[in-house]
Amino acid sequence: MARTLTFEIFRYNPAIPEQKPQMQCFTLAETANMTLFIALNRLREEQDPSLVFDFCCRAGICGSCGMVVNGRPRLACQTKTADLPERIILLPLPVFKLVGDLSVDTGVWFRDMYQKTRSWIHTKKAFDSDQEEERMDNAVAEQIYELERCVECGCCIAACGTARMRDDFLGAASLNRIARFALDPRDERTDQDYFEIIGNDYGIFGCMGLLACEDVCPKHLPLQNQLGFLRRKMGITALKQLFRKSSCAS
Amino acid sequence: MSIHATMHIVSPSRRDAYFDWLQMLTGLGLVIFMALHTALNLSIIFGAKSLDIVAGALEVLHLDTLAHVFVPILFLVHFVLAARKIPFRVDGQLAIWRDARLLNHRDTWLWIVQTISGMVILILGAIHMWTTITAGAVQAASSVARVQSSGWTMFYLLLIPLVQGHVFIGLYRIGVKWGVITDKMRPKVVKILVITFAGVLILALLALARYATLTI
Repeated sequence: MARTLTFEIFRYNPAIPEQKPQMQCFTLAETANMTLFIALNRLREEQDPSLVFDFCCRAGICGSCGMVVNGRPRLACQTKTADLPERIILLPLPVFKLVGDLSVDTGVWFRDMYQKTRSWIHTKKAFDSDQEEERMDNAVAEQIYELERCVECGCCIAACGTARMRDDFLGAASLNRIARFALDPRDERTDQDYFEIIGNDYGIFGCMGLLACEDVCPKHLPLQNQLGFLRRKMGITALKQLFRKSSCAS
Repeated sequence: MSIHATMHIVSPSRRDAYFDWLQMLTGLGLVIFMALHTALNLSIIFGAKSLDIVAGALEVLHLDTLAHVFVPILFLVHFVLAARKIPFRVDGQLAIWRDARLLNHRDTWLWIVQTISGMVILILGAIHMWTTITAGAVQAASSVARVQSSGWTMFYLLLIPLVQGHVFIGLYRIGVKWGVITDKMRPKVVKILVITFAGVLILALLALARYATLTI
């Protein structure tokens, strides 16, 4: 027998300051293979056209529909209502700027992160468009691809206890970007270069190992392993510097 | 208003890396000490004589003197380093509390348990260390007399679970933070640690019961 789902949805439009944040209840008859994407679209079409939420791909690729579902940051398009209880509470992702209701602006945060982590291939080689692309070992390419699968939904940041306490903490998505470039043989940055970006309490040493990032990542990225890898790599880089003789003769 | 002028440039520093190493190493040092300390205490289960034999062996190796000097230092340094991550302002405390309640995520709750237990251990552990160090050599008769004097059984009934919990959570945390425990190993390691913790705690409480009831 089909269930009747009760949705408690956070409603607030920051553009209307006199409006107070509130939870609004909706009910909806569950249908076969219903996802939160389908449910929210039906609610908007059938009950309240003012409901604000983000969607694009419907297939867990664009990362637009991240929201807090019964306490856990998840992608709405990947979340089947059959896996949830009858009462479903939907909140916008914390940490990010609220656009309205369930919609947050992850774009500004990720653009800022890209600039902080200098998230592009650093090479002194001049680009020649006529040349064949440099070949890469398949195993390395697969390792890089594994980390490139991040869809920048922001779930790992929203779930991170450190990011909730300190808004200057880079978070797992940023550290995963660094791990990705550290693997890439085309990037000429040294460990010391990476250390200058993440070798501090804003970066890898600020991570407290709560692993909510690992546990909520909708793409199941190996974040725990990458954070461990970076902590060891940056820790060893610092120790090497400690035992290295100063290049300036006094 | 945004500021586009650079007022100063933060000098790259290795300080946070060294602090993180030290936090991990002092934690590991305390875990090793606690393993030896628990082994010593468990010997009371077999009677006062066995505790005196184990304590005597540790004395011959001068491990008691080393512990009396280095453990308080490790204890304090570890607290100061770990406290860097603890929110002392109310807004930070509320943020992590709300996060843990919203997520209902095991490892986030464990961190809160570790933080609160750390604070209590700072006080109770300091009292315990002061009492035992000033009492001189470890002997079954004096230890039993202390535990049986007013309030000390309750004191240790609170301290023992907190310390053992803190040790096991800390060991797990070091493992996942430094990548020794990988994502694939994690569920199995958690199971092993939970079973070991339960076993050690039961034995430690049994040892406390022996201290509290033994007649010498």
